[in-house]
Amino acid sequence: MRTKLCTVAAASAAALLLASCGSGDSGGGDTSASGGGLTGEGSGESCTIEGEVPIGAVLSLTGAAASYGESQQRGLELAAAELAGNDGVTYDLTIEDDQTDPRQAITLFDEFVNDGASLIIGPTLSNAAVQADPIAQEAGVPVLGISNTAAGVTEIGDYIFRDSLTEQAVIPQTIAAATEEFGLQDVVVMYSNDDAFTESGYEAFAAALEDEGVEISETITFSKSDTDFRALLTQAQESDPDAIVVSALIEAAVPLVTQARELGIDVPIIGGNGFNNPRLMADAGEAAEGVVVGAAWNSTSDNPENQAFLEAYEAEYDARPDQFAAQAYTGLKLVDQAVRANCSAERDSIQQALGEIEDVPTVLGEFSIDENRDADHPAVVQVVENGTFTVLE
Amino acid sequence: MLGQYATTLTFIALGAIFAYSFYAVLIAGQLSLGQAGFASLAAFSGAYLAPSGADVGDVPALLIAVAIGMSVGALAAVVLGLPTMHLRGVFLAIATLGFAEAVRVVLLNQEWTGGAQGLGVPRVLTVGMAWLALGLVAYWFWRMGRSRYGRALEAIREDELAARAMGIDVGRHRLAAFVTAGAVAGLYGVLYAYYVRLIAPDDFDFTAAVEGLVTAVVGGSTMFLGPVLGSGFLTAVPEIQRAVGVEAGWIRPFLAGLLLLVVILFLPGGLASLIRRRTRMPADAAAEAAGERAGRSHPPAGDTVVALAGLGKEYGGVHAVRGVDLEIRAGEVVGLIGPNGAGKTTLVNMISGLVPPSSGSATVLGAEIGRTPVHRIAAAGVSRTFQHSKLFNRLSALENVLVGAHLVSRPTFLRRLLWLPSARRDESAALRQAARCLERVGLAELAASRAEALSYGDQRRLEIARALASDPSLLILDEPAAGMNHVEARRLSELITSLAQDGLTILFIEHNVGMVLRTCTRVVVLNFGEVIASGAPAEIASDPAVVEAYLGSADEDPAGGSIAEGTLDDPTSAERADATPDAPPDPVVDVRPGAAGDLAPPDSTPRDAT
Repeated sequence: MRTKLCTVAAASAAALLLASCGSGDSGGGDTSASGGGLTGEGSGESCTIEGEVPIGAVLSLTGAAASYGESQQRGLELAAAELAGNDGVTYDLTIEDDQTDPRQAITLFDEFVNDGASLIIGPTLSNAAVQADPIAQEAGVPVLGISNTAAGVTEIGDYIFRDSLTEQAVIPQTIAAATEEFGLQDVVVMYSNDDAFTESGYEAFAAALEDEGVEISETITFSKSDTDFRALLTQAQESDPDAIVVSALIEAAVPLVTQARELGIDVPIIGGNGFNNPRLMADAGEAAEGVVVGAAWNSTSDNPENQAFLEAYEAEYDARPDQFAAQAYTGLKLVDQAVRANCSAERDSIQQALGEIEDVPTVLGEFSIDENRDADHPAVVQVVENGTFTVLE
Repeated sequence: MLGQYATTLTFIALGAIFAYSFYAVLIAGQLSLGQAGFASLAAFSGAYLAPSGADVGDVPALLIAVAIGMSVGALAAVVLGLPTMHLRGVFLAIATLGFAEAVRVVLLNQEWTGGAQGLGVPRVLTVGMAWLALGLVAYWFWRMGRSRYGRALEAIREDELAARAMGIDVGRHRLAAFVTAGAVAGLYGVLYAYYVRLIAPDDFDFTAAVEGLVTAVVGGSTMFLGPVLGSGFLTAVPEIQRAVGVEAGWIRPFLAGLLLLVVILFLPGGLASLIRRRTRMPADAAAEAAGERAGRSHPPAGDTVVALAGLGKEYGGVHAVRGVDLEIRAGEVVGLIGPNGAGKTTLVNMISGLVPPSSGSATVLGAEIGRTPVHRIAAAGVSRTFQHSKLFNRLSALENVLVGAHLVSRPTFLRRLLWLPSARRDESAALRQAARCLERVGLAELAASRAEALSYGDQRRLEIARALASDPSLLILDEPAAGMNHVEARRLSELITSLAQDGLTILFIEHNVGMVLRTCTRVVVLNFGEVIASGAPAEIASDPAVVEAYLGSADEDPAGGSIAEGTLDDPTSAERADATPDAPPDPVVDVRPGAAGDLAPPDSTPRDAT
């Protein structure tokens, strides 16, 4: 037994030693690389940068937010594969998993900063962004959020950008369109109050409803892990609303919509960004018909970038992309745009070029970065018809 | 060089501090998951109430927040601890988990916490501060380890009942451990908040609690470095995986889980079990022994030590003991004999305060039985051994005896924190006392062995040494010679005689009737819960009622009587072995010394049957 213990001890000691050597080496190597050939010649498509451009991405591939992280990983890898086909600039994209744990996100940001990443993409959740982005800000490494929708993320500093529309940008359009379409007078609002994303979504809904003069007859909260909404829906039904407004993640959205229809609630259901997921139609089926969803990405848009993206994604993964994949894909394309604009992958150069992105045709539509480093592009209000999202005109 | 690993090192320190909050109670054998709740309350109240760094400076703000957080954590532990401290094992875990979840939900619904979106906190903590805090916490637990308080906690973990019988106030010690856990968890909560910049109630959920528990267990919950090792290990695993290039995704948590499993399988005592535990034996125990025997002053010979009047115990209609009137005077050596199931162990359990009587009254060394908690009766000067050894198994023989000396040594923990020389003196006095007791029973060479590694006979002797360490006035021995051979039994008999010469009053149950007749000044015979004879050994040996009781039982199934001793509700799990025919109906008069003891069956009852 004693020898066994010693073996284990020796093995773990060796592993620790290896680990420290390993990360030490890579740290040194990358930093020296970034010191050299990250500035090239030419501009735009003719730009040629000698060295590989190191890009780090921090995604939640495991843990509670894994379903978003996986979509983002696919979007990024698809974009990276396409960029690899272009001449001049090669990207060294490292995707890391933060395990939906803020401590991991902080550690990873720290490592990417130390390893000389030109830019960091992510992290998946807004909470993690508030915790980790300051590290990059302090080190002067640009960050591009591809799914952070909470208010305040880009206020962390001038190196923090995002290509994801905030809830505050999408939801007023949704409510305005829905009010016009259905003549809403009073609604019931339901949201899960234990999730940062859905709670800020609720706040945006409440503000938008007030602006439109729609009365909220009742506000009902639930937990993001709930799956049985029958009692709450019956409660909502009693005030006989013109519509039910829901801020929830897709995991709650599917049973909520299904159960509402089972209970005979046939008023429109209006959802936030969390509803903008092909799983809504796939899992709720018939019940999803008539659900109104405000989204940053119009999945049915016929702009050529979007059509190409849909085709490529389905060919690669044999599945339909969601908004997370679309925003991730767009994110890396925007980074390429910024690098080629100044033909430099130096951190400051990328930061400056990202801030100047304007009217770039992307999967998300004509895309600009505004003065607050937030995304600016058309949002879309969709309604589920015959099992697909169609634009609510 | 260090800067590159600052983040990882900080998280190792933070994880270790959180693990210490679990260690604080695990060391006393309590399984609590409430620490996440304490940390959460502390983090939010600390971050919310502390003044802004702009007004008082960053570090003072952090220190104020730490003070608030630790107070809140400790206070919450008192509030939660008072109603839950009587819960054990998984029940305590569930109750405390419920508390943590309640805290999470309440904080989630408060306006000032920012709800699910969390509360922003400035980053003040640096890697140096984190390790300084960890150092202080580790220092606290290091100094606790060899103090009287630390040993008492370990004793409670190993065997709560025996700890009580050694005079340890289990309730108070458990609550103290719990409050320590609350304060340390509070420290973690605040430091965490001041590092990650944003805290949400979900940061302190069930997963976080389990992670803290796993860290403490993987590191080892019996050695103060355990939490640091555990946190280092668990924090390093993802780093190592990244360094060796394991692809991000499900495979990493899977490998981490597998590694955890391997560690737990091969190192059940945690990583800290790789570090050998030293036992210091005072070199000159015997030399200084003579000088300092202050000890307890025993009641003068002839004074009443035990007075029982109409004492009875009933278990669901079965009278284990009924109407026992008995008086034991200082200096007596009283042997309690009787057939299996006669109620002997129930009687001594009542005398030592473990079992409340159902009728009658009893006073032992001035303490009223039935209303006085066990540790108070022990404090009055009663010490005992158990029919089935109830040793502190994972402690060394010397430490077992040190716990026995709890009542006659002074609290040393706080003075040890300050390195006061008086603490060292008190500790070495206790050590010498323990060493003397070990020597007295002939176990001095085995001082460093774990109690569980001793042979059966040595365990019995260790129990006696432990009972002696409290310098008792009344020593109760429950079948001390069971499992001993002739030579050992004879030596034991000599030991008892010499103890009696020191002024101790001794009451002992024994099946080895020859030994009883040889050693005792008086013999009391119990049968079916009643005293059938009491008198000098020679009288008893020829008492026809006694002969009848022993011989008569030959016609009956000896197991039949066992229920009379109350196996149903006996906290010492005593009588299980009595149900087996271990005492043949030897004619009492003609017994060969040592013969009956040899027939005792080997102990097959699980030690921890209670």
